[in-house]
Amino acid sequence: MSRRRVLAVVRRIVAQFRRDRRTLALIFVVPIVISALLGWVLRDQQTAAVRLGIVNQAGPAGQRIADALLAPGAADQAGSAGAVALPSSTIPESTARSELANDQLDVVLVIPADVAGGLASGHGVRLIVITQGANAPVEGGQVAQVQQFLARAVSSIVPGSPGLPTIEHETVFGSPSSDTFDALSPFFIGFFVYFLVFILTGISFLRERMGGTLERLLATPVTKGEIVLGYTLGFGIFATLQVIVLMAVMLIRIDVPALGPFGAFTLGLAVPSVGSPLLAFLIAMLLAIGAVSLGIFISTFARTEFQILQFIPIVIVPQGLLSGIFWRIDTLPALLQPLARVLPLTYAADGLREVMIQGRDLSAAGVQLDLGVLVGIAALFVVLAAATIRREVA
Amino acid sequence: MTAPDGDASPSAPAIEGRGLVKTFGPIRAVDGVDIALRPGRIYGLLGPNGSGKTTLIRLLVGLARPSAGEARLLGHRVPSREMLARVGYMTQADGIYPELSVWENVRFFAGLYGSFDRTRLVETLRVVDLADRLGTPALQLSGGMRRRLSLACALVHRPPILVLDEPTVGIDPALRVQFWRHFRALAAAGATLLVTSHVMDEADRCDELLFILAGRIFARGTSAELRQRAGSENLEEAFLRFSGDGGDVAQPIVSRGGAA
Repeated sequence: MSRRRVLAVVRRIVAQFRRDRRTLALIFVVPIVISALLGWVLRDQQTAAVRLGIVNQAGPAGQRIADALLAPGAADQAGSAGAVALPSSTIPESTARSELANDQLDVVLVIPADVAGGLASGHGVRLIVITQGANAPVEGGQVAQVQQFLARAVSSIVPGSPGLPTIEHETVFGSPSSDTFDALSPFFIGFFVYFLVFILTGISFLRERMGGTLERLLATPVTKGEIVLGYTLGFGIFATLQVIVLMAVMLIRIDVPALGPFGAFTLGLAVPSVGSPLLAFLIAMLLAIGAVSLGIFISTFARTEFQILQFIPIVIVPQGLLSGIFWRIDTLPALLQPLARVLPLTYAADGLREVMIQGRDLSAAGVQLDLGVLVGIAALFVVLAAATIRREVA
Repeated sequence: MTAPDGDASPSAPAIEGRGLVKTFGPIRAVDGVDIALRPGRIYGLLGPNGSGKTTLIRLLVGLARPSAGEARLLGHRVPSREMLARVGYMTQADGIYPELSVWENVRFFAGLYGSFDRTRLVETLRVVDLADRLGTPALQLSGGMRRRLSLACALVHRPPILVLDEPTVGIDPALRVQFWRHFRALAAAGATLLVTSHVMDEADRCDELLFILAGRIFARGTSAELRQRAGSENLEEAFLRFSGDGGDVAQPIVSRGGAA
């Protein structure tokens, strides 16, 4: 292993990127823009009131229920003002259905004909809700909002009811007010680094293979190990800078006061992190080292840059989906669980979450496992990458 | 004039191949080549596209392992990393980094050969007439300039053996003359040069020619000898005479159908 030759490869990679402004922008600007956008979308989401329609099919008995729900102040009493927008009167079912279809209502509550019988027999009341059926997850949330409204409204309507208990939420890590973005931020750091390093090395090494420079490199005394190490260090420099920029964007919070025509705004996403940024950085770098070798390895199976991009849905996207950040690994289908447990992003996401959100350090068994697996996977990829550089002498 | 194989030459061969065979599946890209190339001379390897030129030089340089036979450089068995340091190999593709400047390209290859010397590098670039373009990105060079840069990258470590795969493609006549003058100077200083080409008019500048077809060397000698033996005015005709069937020359002749 000659330091001079490794250094020659590193310097070359740095020089190539310095000339390539667009790629530099890809490395530094894109992660900032996307994480800022995501933070904005996830944090400043508007919650629209559910527009409720009520259909009465139970005659006077049903009308009494409907009137109680519609009574001015019923919603306020129930403490859910804003969550449900109430109509002024009941409507026929056909009108309700067409208004649902035309996006004029979100949820229609039907008081069925047998409601009086249910009340009398004490078997409980069966109500029906109708939604449009175009966006199940959103509609599920709206139905839940209506359900909450009903529960509160009923407890305030029925005399002598004790009312629902209020719940106060506390957490071991972070705060109850943490949002989706706080939970996702460790994963995003890992994902961005992995994705960009993979794409950049893949394309760089593909150019090396197709442009004839690899043939030429192999005609010099440079070893395969020196090439892989040079690539790892060269791209490691950019991965380092990228992780620093990303972590800065996610963790800092600088309040800029209003100045002239500009209103006050906040720089940075201020994700509450309690762990060591250095340890988080180490995890991200181990992931990046694996990604360099993975890129070299994958470049063997591509003939053009476009074909490298075709590996994104195969190599990158499933890793993101299975990494345990969107769905916990033990809730995945049994067949997918072993797969999720061999993917590097799974361990990086887990390690970053443990360090950044749970504030664990090197003494935690979970962090040790994550680091160990990442080292192992990086080593495996390095061996695979070196093996794809075909040469008669090592 | 020309020493046949095995002749007791004053100096040991710099490039040597014995019974070299390289097969890719059913294809015999190199099919039993014996050569011994002596220092201080320029050898021309001539043959049409697909005749096995590049595969043969990759075997000789040690970039590929022969299926049978052996190759030696300066008496050492190849493939060997030590020998790679003593060969300058100019590939058919330019093999330079388009984003990098002229200077960064030569400096990179010099770094790999472990022989960075600013004065020497500038001198090398002067030979290929690029010394005044050190900062130009290779991307902005013309095709001929890129070819010259590619040659410079093969010369940065002053190798005693130079293997040049089609070095003068896309180079204008004036510069081609300059290239050959430099090749001659290198040979005079003791280097061994093996140059491939499918352009016959360049062949006259070589000390000795090797005709290759279907992976076999089927004729060798100086340009004059070959033309005389074939009884033709120019080399192109000679090549066709030797490679076709019915030639009445003493050298082994490969009939196209029978090369198996």
